[in-house]
Amino acid sequence: MPVVDVDPEELRYLTGHDEKDDEELKSDLFDLGLEFEGLTEDDEFQLEFAPDRLDRLSVEGVARSLRYHYGDDRGVYVPSTNSADWTIEVEDQPEERPYVTGAVVRGLDMSEEALESLIQLQEKLHATMGRKRAKGAIGVHDLTMLKGAAATEGEGKSITYTSADPDEATFVPLDADAEMTPNEVVASHETGQTYGDLVADFDRVPAIYDAIGLFSFPPVINGHRTEVSEDSRDLFIEMTGTDQWTIDRMCAIVCYALEARGGRVERVAVEYADDAPGEYAGRTLERPDFAVRTKTVTHDRIESILGVSLDEREVVDYAERAGLDATPTTGDDAAYEVEIPPYRVDVIHPLDLIDDIGRALGFNSLEPVYPDVSTVGGRHDRSRLEDAARDALVGLGFEDLLNFHMINEAENFERMNLSVPDDGDGSDAGTVGLDEPVTIQEPYSEDYTILRTWALPSIMMVLENNTHRSYPQDLAEIGLAAGLDDSENTGVAEHRTVAGALARTDASYEDAKARLQALADAFDTDLSTPSTTHPTFIDGRAAEVVLDGESVGVVGEIHPTVLVEHDLELPVAAFELRLDGLA
Amino acid sequence: MKRPQTQVAVLQAADAQEDRRIDEVADEADCKPEAATRAAFELEADGLLTVTEETVSHYELTEEGERYVRESLPEQDLYAAATDAGAKEGPVQMGQVIGASGLEGAAVDIALSNYARKAYGEIDSGEITANPDADPGADPEMLALEAVADGRVDDADADALDQLERRGLVDVREETVRSVRLTDDGVTALMEGVEVAETVDQLTPELLTSGEWEDVEFTEYNVEADAEDVRHGKEHILRQTANRVKDTLVGMGFQEMEGPHADAQFWINDCLFMPQDHPARTHWDQFALERPDEIRDLPEDLVERVRSAHREGVGPDGEGYHSPWTEDVARGMDLRGHTTSLSMRYLSGHQVGDLEPPQRYFSVEKVYRNDTLDPTHLLEFFQIEGWVMAEDLSVRDLMGTFTEFYEQFGITDIEFKPHYNPYTEPSFELFGTHPETGEIVEVGNSGIFRDEVLTPLGVECDVMAWGLSLERLLMLMYGFEDIRDVHGTLCDLELLRETEVMH
Repeated sequence: MPVVDVDPEELRYLTGHDEKDDEELKSDLFDLGLEFEGLTEDDEFQLEFAPDRLDRLSVEGVARSLRYHYGDDRGVYVPSTNSADWTIEVEDQPEERPYVTGAVVRGLDMSEEALESLIQLQEKLHATMGRKRAKGAIGVHDLTMLKGAAATEGEGKSITYTSADPDEATFVPLDADAEMTPNEVVASHETGQTYGDLVADFDRVPAIYDAIGLFSFPPVINGHRTEVSEDSRDLFIEMTGTDQWTIDRMCAIVCYALEARGGRVERVAVEYADDAPGEYAGRTLERPDFAVRTKTVTHDRIESILGVSLDEREVVDYAERAGLDATPTTGDDAAYEVEIPPYRVDVIHPLDLIDDIGRALGFNSLEPVYPDVSTVGGRHDRSRLEDAARDALVGLGFEDLLNFHMINEAENFERMNLSVPDDGDGSDAGTVGLDEPVTIQEPYSEDYTILRTWALPSIMMVLENNTHRSYPQDLAEIGLAAGLDDSENTGVAEHRTVAGALARTDASYEDAKARLQALADAFDTDLSTPSTTHPTFIDGRAAEVVLDGESVGVVGEIHPTVLVEHDLELPVAAFELRLDGLA
Repeated sequence: MKRPQTQVAVLQAADAQEDRRIDEVADEADCKPEAATRAAFELEADGLLTVTEETVSHYELTEEGERYVRESLPEQDLYAAATDAGAKEGPVQMGQVIGASGLEGAAVDIALSNYARKAYGEIDSGEITANPDADPGADPEMLALEAVADGRVDDADADALDQLERRGLVDVREETVRSVRLTDDGVTALMEGVEVAETVDQLTPELLTSGEWEDVEFTEYNVEADAEDVRHGKEHILRQTANRVKDTLVGMGFQEMEGPHADAQFWINDCLFMPQDHPARTHWDQFALERPDEIRDLPEDLVERVRSAHREGVGPDGEGYHSPWTEDVARGMDLRGHTTSLSMRYLSGHQVGDLEPPQRYFSVEKVYRNDTLDPTHLLEFFQIEGWVMAEDLSVRDLMGTFTEFYEQFGITDIEFKPHYNPYTEPSFELFGTHPETGEIVEVGNSGIFRDEVLTPLGVECDVMAWGLSLERLLMLMYGFEDIRDVHGTLCDLELLRETEVMH
């Protein structure tokens, strides 16, 4: 979940509520779904919230939500924008990163707090909507340091989003004092090393030029020349990415935040060349995109989701308190046209508006009702069978275990005296435990790399970890085991396996078979135990478990090699069989 | 004949000619009177002895009685004083007489009432006479009192004794005294010889079948001593918890779901309207499989509807996501990160056929998350998943269902905190009061499935769903601090053995 650091002084200043103390603010924020997680070193609130309201990733956005919550603001607000003086010309940009957007914001008084908030917003948007800059990356520049080229059309000035040879182009990146090429940045600059992967496969890398030269290497790093400081008054914002909608929304969120700081937003023309890659070739977009979207919500749906009766006036009121504008439609069915401000990236369906209305109404004010819906309950056959088998084992004195389904190959095979099955040659078919395992991609821990093919290895591990506990240790488990199987749609054959082990000074084959016999009898199945060989068990003391004529498992005395491997100093007799053998 | 030790001793101590008190017999038999009495009754039942009972009254002077024996009865004092004052000749002033008698307080009333009762004289209008014929020196009550004091109760007049008891001057205690006498059979048995039967430790099948048990005496055990440790098998505490949850849900009308642990991302994520570039879909959060890496078949029409929901949205005003969507990603195999994949399979009709509302389904099954293993987080844990499908469900129905469920586990005052999930709207995190510590803790996540989830699945009514971790419920209910102690191969057998069973 996203976390945003917010200075309570700033909140009081931006909301105009000087009278709110820290505790009141925390409580109001909680009501909005922003949970106080603690204080930063600078005594700022760390607020955690669900990742839908990304417009709250700045103190300005949080303050705006509070003002709606307090009723100071109502309905949709769209800042006015001045006409475009600057153009971003787009040509020969990398087709892997074809989209760009931008805005100019003038007249800012960049206090230290405002600058910090802008940097935080940028970072948080990168981490969330920007998908770690892959989908969208933000560059903010000091406008006075840019020298615009003459725009192709009109009077204005322009910069160019294009591509560059990563070994040829040079600029001085942020936090550096010498000219570097993009490849040098990726190789040796700290930020370059972090984000270099994003352009690793590009022949030519994304680059933004003004009349002086290269000043930004998105999505990796900006140039030093246009770096924003507390003295900056006018900003140029550019964003590049793989999806125009996404960067336009990110841009809107940033512009709303700066506008709340007193900035005047000025539009930028984004002019895609006729042969530019992407969906907008030959088109000119006016940005930022502050278009207000509308969605239609029916009155019935609002009432049926919230479970309460509302009149039209109430719906309109709740919508306005949520920062929306609802207008009743004139058609036959009662419905509303709801206007949605451009920073609301989370609203993608009318249901999202009903949720907003519910929040404004206060969900916790609703009275719970038990639904008047009658259904018949019941257990799944497999789960009932599993429980019955478990009861039988417990009745036989086994301690019921619950182990992980994930394990590694050494535990599952090698430490059980089995060799890891070869790819698909089928030579091990029929040996319990010797299925080819389901393997995990890039495992997080070397202890958990496959799904277990049988459960006895897990039980042996429990015995190994409990040698200091009193004996006898009679342990059993019924749980999942799985192996590769081409005949299954998923490619995985999953089954429930029944495993039991008797660790005691006089454990013998007969002890294991006796309990197996009792289990077979309990399920009215006919047990026979033809001799077999299995590397986990002592030769001559191992048998197949055949239930009603079908081979479903193995029983025997565990081989001393396996016992010693598990640091056990007493014999273990064990069995393992498929649960469905008992059905 | 063989009899137990105590019976033999009692038989030998008894006499055929005279009754012998049981305490004497017990002394002679060298056993406790209770044991001798028990043996006597057993012998009587076998006709070897008769036991007679008589009730004996014991008289004892009370404190007041003792004082009168030392001194005199108050009415005697009064008579003496009255006589001195000339009351035998005619009435005299009572105040004067009482003053001379030295009686004070309660003793005055006692003296006056008994004086009149015994006709020592008359008391009338503040004057007293003394009957010249009376003989307080030979007062039967005084004589009886002296007899009791001297242990000569038998000499005492019975009426006088009763009177003394009423006056609270003597206490009477009744005691049952048992005496035994040998019967003829008893005599015969003794003459034929009675041996002491052996005592045995263990009642054996032989003793029972041979009837010898009748002649043996069982050695007494120290019944308070510790017994050996007996180990019983026990269902795993987490399984017990799971079954308790299952019982509750079945009771609330829910049917159990079942399905694959290794499944396509399509069922795990895409059907749930999780965008393919969602941060939680990286392998850092869910276990992607290397082998097998792809499901073979996905239902084509459903794939198309899900793709369309992601890319274009659902309904005239639905937008979908501005995220890439490819079937290749959807076909990728994962270990399920939630059992909502089962809900998707069931709701789609591909698991048990098309479902008509109303329906309730649940599962309590394992899920897999690529997370750090710590005291409260496991890579594998059980998720409780449930959903209700019906026409026109509201958030109030959702609240009512979950309030009811959690109450079964002692978690009351459920609070619904509005939340965000990609697959439900509205969504709520559920908070409840910890039954032990009283803290407010998160107990689940819930919501009403979005149209973008339900419409592609072909569901035309509402479905509300919720989930929580079973381990969390267990920790809340039983206060376990490290879940690794019970779940997994690092488990401590001693803890499993000693954990209280769930009831």
